[in-house]
Amino acid sequence: MSVIETERLTKSYGSARGIEEVTITVEAGEVFGFLGPNGAGKTTTIRTLLDLLHPTSGSARIFGLDSRRESVAIRARLGNLPGDFGYGKGASGREALSLLARLRGMEGIGRAEALAKRFRANLDRPLGELSRGNRQKVGLILATFHEPELLILDEPTSGLDPLMQEEFLTLVGEERERGCAVFISSHELDEVERVCDRVGIVRAGRLIAVERIADLLGKAKRRVRLELAEQTDLAELKGLPGVGELKVEGQRASFLIGGDLDQAIKAIAGHRITDIEIAHPTLEEVFLGYYEEGAGG
Amino acid sequence: MSYLIATHLCDRRRSLLSWGIPLGLWSAFIVAIFPSLEDTLSKLAKSYPPALKEAFGVAGLTNVEQYLQAEMLSLIVPLALGYLAVRAVASGLSGAAESGRLDVLLSAPVSRSNLAAASFAATAVELAAVLVVTIVFAALGSVVSGAGLEFASAVAGFANVWPLALLFAGLGVVATGFSLRTSVVTGSVAGVLVSMYVIDLIGRLDPGLSGVRYLSVFKYYGNAIEDGIEPLAFCGVTLAGVALAAIGAWLFDRRDISG
Repeated sequence: MSVIETERLTKSYGSARGIEEVTITVEAGEVFGFLGPNGAGKTTTIRTLLDLLHPTSGSARIFGLDSRRESVAIRARLGNLPGDFGYGKGASGREALSLLARLRGMEGIGRAEALAKRFRANLDRPLGELSRGNRQKVGLILATFHEPELLILDEPTSGLDPLMQEEFLTLVGEERERGCAVFISSHELDEVERVCDRVGIVRAGRLIAVERIADLLGKAKRRVRLELAEQTDLAELKGLPGVGELKVEGQRASFLIGGDLDQAIKAIAGHRITDIEIAHPTLEEVFLGYYEEGAGG
Repeated sequence: MSYLIATHLCDRRRSLLSWGIPLGLWSAFIVAIFPSLEDTLSKLAKSYPPALKEAFGVAGLTNVEQYLQAEMLSLIVPLALGYLAVRAVASGLSGAAESGRLDVLLSAPVSRSNLAAASFAATAVELAAVLVVTIVFAALGSVVSGAGLEFASAVAGFANVWPLALLFAGLGVVATGFSLRTSVVTGSVAGVLVSMYVIDLIGRLDPGLSGVRYLSVFKYYGNAIEDGIEPLAFCGVTLAGVALAAIGAWLFDRRDISG
């Protein structure tokens, strides 16, 4: 049984865009990254999973339970960090933790003290007096202190300094080891690439790709740069499947290639090559590629 | 749910001071000055048109209870407590939505209807606490000045405001079913509060329009400081407030909570 399972999940806001027919699954012990620019539908998806928004059509099941009818039972087993976390000005992190612990039927505040030490978070100052980054640390602790089976994190490293971002990524790895499923919505593609097992890319409310990170990067086009001993137009490459954007300037050439390199390497083997560089794309480049394709129709 | 109520009350603890003490001090002042104004007020009251006295529920100004009714309980306390009620209930729902706290609370295993019920229940306790503070101050004013305020009558007069205010708390919960903006919730319910007061006033001033008073909860408010609490009206208005809160909780459960 998947931890998260949505089936054509749709949320419409009248004329404004929401999400359309989003179908995803997230398994226990998996870190799933949910990528997209502002307004693409990431937060709408998360809020629909949490029953803060009610789906227009389709369904979402979490732990096999219906997200709408059984949301209280679901929330007993998950932790959530809302985007742009806030809790009012007067209350301290400890007060918020105490209330949430009681609502969860816990005796104390679990591992919150240890997490506060780890993230150097101040639990005793009113949240309204904390900087955005320090407030975010408290939000992360509120989401994780009860060792949930599912973590839903909306822009979790927003406002965190690089050291704390590293600590967060380590924590996510530990949660995965514990068997926790983690659903992360993020703009930080570098951290997504490092920590996520799979990613879903959402564009204009629609899920346009769900892939393992390794597969996504493997399938993406690599840029090949050549230094040649003499000038040539590399005509052999033209028309080869998977080859594009061929540029030749003097003794330098570059082209993009998707899939197997074998044919292209054999095609240029007749030339004397003094240097070759094959650049693998970052997740950011892959992500931008999806958006450029979309923009191009 | 008791944790939610306790937390809400803890968050609102300042309102006990900011509302209870001013209302209490004002009531104490009104009671305390009565002995020095008694003769003048008695003559003045005789000169008032009967319709005006009826409109403000004043039979005369011959004792401190009547003076307290005219100065505090016919207008200021019900309007102030009605407004406090909607402010309090809104702070636990629309205020929590605006601050982000609602998202955090709804990450925990608590239903929205429980949140709404807790906010309403905490408001009921808060209103009672403010009224207790006000009664205590009024009683102290009487002791200091020798005004002779009958304590049981004062309790009845102030306690009678509680169901009225609770009804507006219930309306506040209903309003959060439609909007999670505190300004919209408090503004709309405060508008209803003032409208109901004016409707009741018109019905009292013009006997030909007395039928319109059925549109206002103030019709059932009465003059408890002199006549005692009317149990049917007290329970009926309280139940109406609870029923409105239940409807509001139902609406709140079904609405979207946007980020």
